Amino acid sequence: MDAMISPYATGDNATASSVMSEQHQFQLFEESLRKVNILVFQMLINEIIPLSMGLEKKLERANNDELSDKLSKMEVTEGEESLSTVVPTYNTKDIIPSNELIHELSELKDEDKYNKVIDRVRNIGYQVGNKLSELLIFTNNPNLQFKEMDLLLIMKFICRDVWKQLYGKQIDNLKTNHRGTFYLIDYDYQPIREFCIEENALKKELKLVEPFLEFPVGIIKGVLASLGYSKEQVICLATFIDRPNNDIPDTTFAKGISFHVQITTQNNQ
Amino acid sequence: MSRQQSINSNQTGASTITAQSPLNRSLRTTGEEIWKRSERINAELFTLTYGAIVSQLCTDYGRNFVQINEELFQMGYNIGVRLIEDFLARTALPRCSDLQETSEVISKCAFKIFLNISPKVINWSNNKDAFSLLIEDNPLSDFVELPMDAMDQLWYSNVLCGVLKGALEMVQLDCDISFVSDILRGDQQTELRIKLNKILKDEIPIGED
Repeated sequence: MDAMISPYATGDNATASSVMSEQHQFQLFEESLRKVNILVFQMLINEIIPLSMGLEKKLERANNDELSDKLSKMEVTEGEESLSTVVPTYNTKDIIPSNELIHELSELKDEDKYNKVIDRVRNIGYQVGNKLSELLIFTNNPNLQFKEMDLLLIMKFICRDVWKQLYGKQIDNLKTNHRGTFYLIDYDYQPIREFCIEENALKKELKLVEPFLEFPVGIIKGVLASLGYSKEQVICLATFIDRPNNDIPDTTFAKGISFHVQITTQNNQ
Repeated sequence: MSRQQSINSNQTGASTITAQSPLNRSLRTTGEEIWKRSERINAELFTLTYGAIVSQLCTDYGRNFVQINEELFQMGYNIGVRLIEDFLARTALPRCSDLQETSEVISKCAFKIFLNISPKVINWSNNKDAFSLLIEDNPLSDFVELPMDAMDQLWYSNVLCGVLKGALEMVQLDCDISFVSDILRGDQQTELRIKLNKILKDEIPIGED
């Protein structure tokens, strides 16, 4: 039986060199995975915000229409058969540009409505986070061991692996009080890197950018949920913070982001 | 596969063989080189993010797939009008002389640079004002399976039509763009149709001469 051990066998008594080759193999594996241009991904995730706002507007209008529809239900809608054969043409004149939607969102007075939009963004993030941890865990990443994973290790996993996967960089700073409170600080949060806002930016301008911090809030909650900390146990808030020193070029966004994560655990500390 | 296709399409326009083939080769290399230089991201992450967006739309619209198609198209349009700037900046390509050249640029450069695929250009209309892109290995719909009720109505990757619509409109091409078939719906292939309506006039922005 012992003679059967091949050089590729990885057992519990893996040597240092085999760990090395595991790392190397993992790297090769990562590189071999199918890729797309990072730009299209960035544009897609940033588009989630105007999309969510546009949706809110349309749903509201639909609700209003429904009321008036009940009064005059005479119009005949297209039959299902024709739908699949008729070539749909969309009037691009009706499309509201993304920047207008973002402005509209920042100027929303109705808090209820604003929250609905933000919830939608978070929810998309949540779904992505939920699946993302699966994606990362099942790639045989040798950095990950979930056997005795405590909360701190999970947060490190988010800071390192999740962030790297999403934004090509790690979280810059992780602070914790070891009692369920964490601060994840990103001084160069990638989705808004190109947003040109000066350091002494007005509140109004920052308000425009705020919704862009909500997607990762959803991601964090989604990853935690997939690893046993349910939505209800986790509070996550994102805020702007000043950068410690101004060694970062002026061309990038002038503020860092702090993600405050609060986790309530019922039994264990 | 796609190389063979480009040869075929050249042969149909017999007189343009000599003029087209070096161009095609250089478009291919341009596309490949820019792709190699670009920063990339795991395609699976891209797929699942798009999936999460579509599923959110399904929740919000209560599975009204016609409306979801439109929403995806509009989202794509808003991406396309901005993506074209990046595309022109990266490739520095000159204006296309005809739609045939445009089709090659879309397939060999645009799709290559952004999604790392080169759809075949097929089914040219007789008067050369419409063609189809045969999309294989669509990164948006990797591992995606549609539920039965969505199969007849949802164009899952409709965002692509919107992106093309927006991008082409920015370079003065007014086109109708839609999916003809999709593997996700049980079709044999995923075919996206592009039909040129008219070439828009260059508009000079107000206040500039």
